[in-house]
Amino acid sequence: MELVSGNRLTALAALASGCRFFAGYPITPSSEIYRTMMEELPRRGGLGLSAPDEISALSMCVGASLAGYPAMTATSGPGFSLMVETLQYAVATETPVVVTFVQRLGPSTGGATQGAQGDVLLAEFCTSGGYTIPVFAPSTAEECWTLTRRAFEWAERLRTPVVLLSDKEVGMTLESVEVQELYGNGRVVRRGGFGAGRVVVTGSTHDREGRLRKPDPEVVEILDGLQEKIDAAAPELALVDADLEDGADTLVVSYGVTARAAREACLRARARGRRVSFAAVKTLFPLPELPLVGAARVVVAEENRGGLYAGVLEPRLGGRELVRVNGVGASIPPARIEAAIG
Amino acid sequence: MTLLRDAPAPYCKGCGHPLVLRALDRALSGYAPEELVVVTDIGCVGLADAQLETPHTVHTTHGRSTAFATGIQLADAVLGEGRLKVVVLIGDGGATIGINHLVNAALLNPDVTVVVHDNFLFGMTGGQGSAFTPQGFVTATTPGGSATPPLDLCAVLLAARAPFVARTVGGDRELADVLARAVAHPGFAVVEVLELCTAYATRWNELTGGELRAVAEEAGYELGVLRDEPRPSFAHTYKKGVDRPEPAERDGLAFAGELPAPARVILAGTAGERVQSAATALVRAGLAQGLHATQKNDNPVTQGTGFSVSEVILSPEPILYTGIERPDAVLIVSQDGARELAATGVFDRVDGRTFVLADETVELPVEAERLPLRATAGAKGAALAAVEAWLAR
Repeated sequence: MELVSGNRLTALAALASGCRFFAGYPITPSSEIYRTMMEELPRRGGLGLSAPDEISALSMCVGASLAGYPAMTATSGPGFSLMVETLQYAVATETPVVVTFVQRLGPSTGGATQGAQGDVLLAEFCTSGGYTIPVFAPSTAEECWTLTRRAFEWAERLRTPVVLLSDKEVGMTLESVEVQELYGNGRVVRRGGFGAGRVVVTGSTHDREGRLRKPDPEVVEILDGLQEKIDAAAPELALVDADLEDGADTLVVSYGVTARAAREACLRARARGRRVSFAAVKTLFPLPELPLVGAARVVVAEENRGGLYAGVLEPRLGGRELVRVNGVGASIPPARIEAAIG
Repeated sequence: MTLLRDAPAPYCKGCGHPLVLRALDRALSGYAPEELVVVTDIGCVGLADAQLETPHTVHTTHGRSTAFATGIQLADAVLGEGRLKVVVLIGDGGATIGINHLVNAALLNPDVTVVVHDNFLFGMTGGQGSAFTPQGFVTATTPGGSATPPLDLCAVLLAARAPFVARTVGGDRELADVLARAVAHPGFAVVEVLELCTAYATRWNELTGGELRAVAEEAGYELGVLRDEPRPSFAHTYKKGVDRPEPAERDGLAFAGELPAPARVILAGTAGERVQSAATALVRAGLAQGLHATQKNDNPVTQGTGFSVSEVILSPEPILYTGIERPDAVLIVSQDGARELAATGVFDRVDGRTFVLADETVELPVEAERLPLRATAGAKGAALAAVEAWLAR
């Protein structure tokens, strides 16, 4: 086994997925991805650029992707905020690109080296019109690998930006991983680029020929298509790791770093005879189907103020009791979640 | 052969934009349309896409067109066949909000030509002043005349080492030639074209096409090709290696050991004194025994001063929660470390089962075994010595 961080595995997974281009700007706690890509890309025939800001970073990535090369950037909350306009451009122009978003404590500059899960809504609800951007949330270094691979796969399949949402604890904690076992075939295949067929790209509302048009039925159909392609893929795209127990009246739901503490809490509860089911959400958006059957109450654990994702899930719980376990400034320990399980 | 559509341009009568577009059409006449990418910014200048019939067009976000163009051109030049000629059309509004991208491109030196359509104001949004608005100029947002002098973009980009910089006026018969030279230049080229906005600029100011040179003179703008020098492009200087597989980095070390239950250790000391290195040594020893491990490091954002703390978990089972609720061992080698552990409440989580070891010089709020770690192993060896002492126990 090797001692490796989630951030490093994100970079290596991007390369294994066929990422050829990275443009970055340093920000804790994502900087290791930037540095790793700048080291690794040149010796693998790729291109790494140092951008003068995060707006440039994502714009350069979108440009490279339009030219036909899978691209990624990495940032944290303050940088992601700057990227939002370009991210919407990628949605509108159906340009595949992967944005790794390693969360830290906000708002604003916040705590650079403090983990948090406070950007779960920022990552998803930052588009005008509410178009769904797929968001994957790894809990471990190994999942940084597997979900980065999925992020590249889905970015290409759906021609969309995809966000890989980790945090300081998942990205920077060093873990023992059987890295060699992770490797396998499967690079994304890219079609397109500026070749013999004329390419017209625009972030403005347009008709099927790419001509600027005020919203008429054809334009609206194109806009609807941006969402419909995500919805159609949701059953395959939206992943939940479920560990269900017969007769459990409580389902614990968590994601990212907190899912680890939540799983441990469930194991401790079971060890003392308490029946409890557990679901670790790997795809935060599009919203996955939760295994709610049999559960009378749902405990949602996440490291933010008030339970941001719980608020998104609440209308889908069919009136079941919702218990939120939240907090900021420190990882949520298993004991708090176990107490909520009861 | 023209690149332009045979259709009426959507510009006001007397607007400078179509003059520039026709000159650009002549300048690009020698290139195959499928090798041309025209990247446009937001504003009236962005309507040029609709006028272009044969080249690729990319209509981008406000001010950011040059960053997109840089990505397109460098990806093609470094990763592809390097066939593309990339031209950016941007206004003075876009160059105001996006000047950082222009400066960055001048430094990076991609083979991108930027044509700045400078009509001294934001046209599409109603004639607001930009950084390029001349002093005294009346705009929608400077009704009493602009109080500030205009930006000298060419001077900025010369300072940013752009290898080709030119400034002309819209009606100049040399414009097509200047644009052709800019596009032919193998690096970053910028051409600022002073022109008229007949919707606003000429309505509110005494200004005709013939007076653009006088505006330039008053602003202290030099006209003509201000620099045309060879400079190796980014793609030329970027060192690209061959594709090679991921090197396997393995210790090759393996030995038998027994750890029946997880061990959770906190190691605390001073930044720069190899605390995190000592933790890594412990973890690697664990890996060599086939254990699962996590290591979390913390230090002040300034990196090289203050505390340094590592939290290590070694476990025969996969590790879920990577925090440490109750430590099995706390090893403290300096007062910086003790202070940080006190601040983060670690001593509140210590109980009778926790092995606490501290250097003899450290003041602590809890009972601890004491060893002369710093005196015997030195400041940079104390952390490893503490790990050894714990393992020996």
